[in-house]
Amino acid sequence: MAPASQAVRPAKKKPRVIGTTAWYVVALFVGAVMIVPLLWMITIGLKSGTAVFDIPPKLLPREWKWSNFVNGPKAIHFPRLLLNSFLITGLSVIGGVMTAMMAGYALARMRFPGRKLWFYLFVGSMLLPGVVGLIPLFQLYKSIGWYDTWLPLIVPAFLGGNPLFIFLARQYFLAIPYSIDEAAKLDGAGHFRIFTQVMLPLTRPAWLTMAILAFQASWNDYLNPLVYLYSSGKWPLSVGMAAFISPFAGKTPDWSYYMATNLLYMLPPLIIFFAAQRYFIQGLGALGSTNQK
Amino acid sequence: MSRNAGSDVKAAYLFIAPAMIGFFVFVGYPLIRSFYLSLTKYNGLTDPVFVGLGNFRRLFTTDPSFWPALRATGYLVVLYVPLSLVLGLALAMFCNQRFAGVRLVRTLAYLPVVLPAVATITLWKFILDPQVGLLNTVLDRLGLPTSLWLQSPKMAMPSIVLVMLWGVGSTMIIFLAGLQAVPTELYEAAKVDGAGPFAVFFRITLPMISPIMLLQVILQTTAALQTFNQPKILSPGGGGGPGFSTNVLMLGIYNNGFPTLGKIPQLGYASAQVWVLFVIIIAVIALTAKFSSLWTYSDSTSD
Repeated sequence: MAPASQAVRPAKKKPRVIGTTAWYVVALFVGAVMIVPLLWMITIGLKSGTAVFDIPPKLLPREWKWSNFVNGPKAIHFPRLLLNSFLITGLSVIGGVMTAMMAGYALARMRFPGRKLWFYLFVGSMLLPGVVGLIPLFQLYKSIGWYDTWLPLIVPAFLGGNPLFIFLARQYFLAIPYSIDEAAKLDGAGHFRIFTQVMLPLTRPAWLTMAILAFQASWNDYLNPLVYLYSSGKWPLSVGMAAFISPFAGKTPDWSYYMATNLLYMLPPLIIFFAAQRYFIQGLGALGSTNQK
Repeated sequence: MSRNAGSDVKAAYLFIAPAMIGFFVFVGYPLIRSFYLSLTKYNGLTDPVFVGLGNFRRLFTTDPSFWPALRATGYLVVLYVPLSLVLGLALAMFCNQRFAGVRLVRTLAYLPVVLPAVATITLWKFILDPQVGLLNTVLDRLGLPTSLWLQSPKMAMPSIVLVMLWGVGSTMIIFLAGLQAVPTELYEAAKVDGAGPFAVFFRITLPMISPIMLLQVILQTTAALQTFNQPKILSPGGGGGPGFSTNVLMLGIYNNGFPTLGKIPQLGYASAQVWVLFVIIIAVIALTAKFSSLWTYSDSTSD
């Protein structure tokens, strides 16, 4: 079944009129729990450094320090870390999506010996916990001179680093009518042309979903860059931001600077989320139907 | 299935080659290598020295931090997984209703999931501050008891679970997809038969989403067993404190395998810890899958 069909919402009975108030109380509570911490962060980001430690805390800043959004980022060389994050994330998105789409195409639409076996191996490897690879891969990268470079963060994506994507791609390719590529084949198109010119346009929702998920995963990743990158000049924002607040040399972190910068760090995934909400829901809908295949 | 097979083979393997190489490098190799390393003494510089089960003996008998780590990890799983599933399902059922503003609630509930872990965890570190944090302030205003949260050995782990539960939207979204796949005729039939909300939930909703529940139990438990970011960022100095309260297995693995300056990495020893964790994860998956037939509903006509 195509993931897209998940978007159809079943008609459910309306809550009874008596319960409506209770209903909105719950809705309001859920909304508040999710949004208040973020609003709190914005106010901290706008307070002066000392106002942060007022007891009891004030909700709104006494003086609005918009300069925190300039001075905070300056304190950790934000532009450099931002660029690092964008490069690492951009490349791993391209790699992850490309590899998964190719593998998914082969698994769904080509006949070759070992097709079933490889499908089960890929699906099975979803269950392998990441922690098993931590030490051997660290040693491997170190021995080939990849330690303290971005390669361990990027190259695995090009090698099918996310088996879930392979699974999603295959599911999507299975849903496309075979008459389409039969026709293309009759016209003399090879697999490469069918894949790039027929399939990629048809599977846009699938690879957009993957690209969004891959962006999120890479942008948010903390453990891997923490393990593989030693030089602070090569850090992505995740490691830089965590270092920002870890108190070293007895210095307490400047929370208002930190929260202002934190907002900037959150901005790209936030923008993508609001721009592509539909895909988030659809993509994960496909995951939800995993067992119903 | 494509009819002109045979000629496909070469092309197919070209398409699948990157993922195949990836499978050998990122699945096969680490499995074998980390198992071998777990049987050695290895500092990453000189060659590994085979010590048999020595690392495991040390873990289970002399290491003062291993049992507390096991206990902390178990505590986290037992606290987090049921809460995450119950809250996630409740939220999904709530968001599956039709009322004005439901999209907004759904969006807000999912919002924390898309934000970077480092950003949200550090935000919570400040919210949980006993003196200037938002949580104690709100509790105090409401006349409710406050807490030292992360600074109290008793409350540190519940605080971490609280932070993790803020991301319950990830559980919700999968349940929501499952709920939306339940045929509406079933609910209509139940309504005609006069079934109450409890009967509908236990006789229709729960059985119909039981395969997704199974998936969720496995996903959430394996993820919880590998929790790293929250204790690393929230505990003082990243050491899993206060005391051993949030010293989960992943922290031990990280601190032994990638120690801070001046200490020698114990990669063999850390690999042994990895394998203990790995065996636990496999056991959880196997047990969940084995007993799943008792409580999951499967439609024998499909597939």
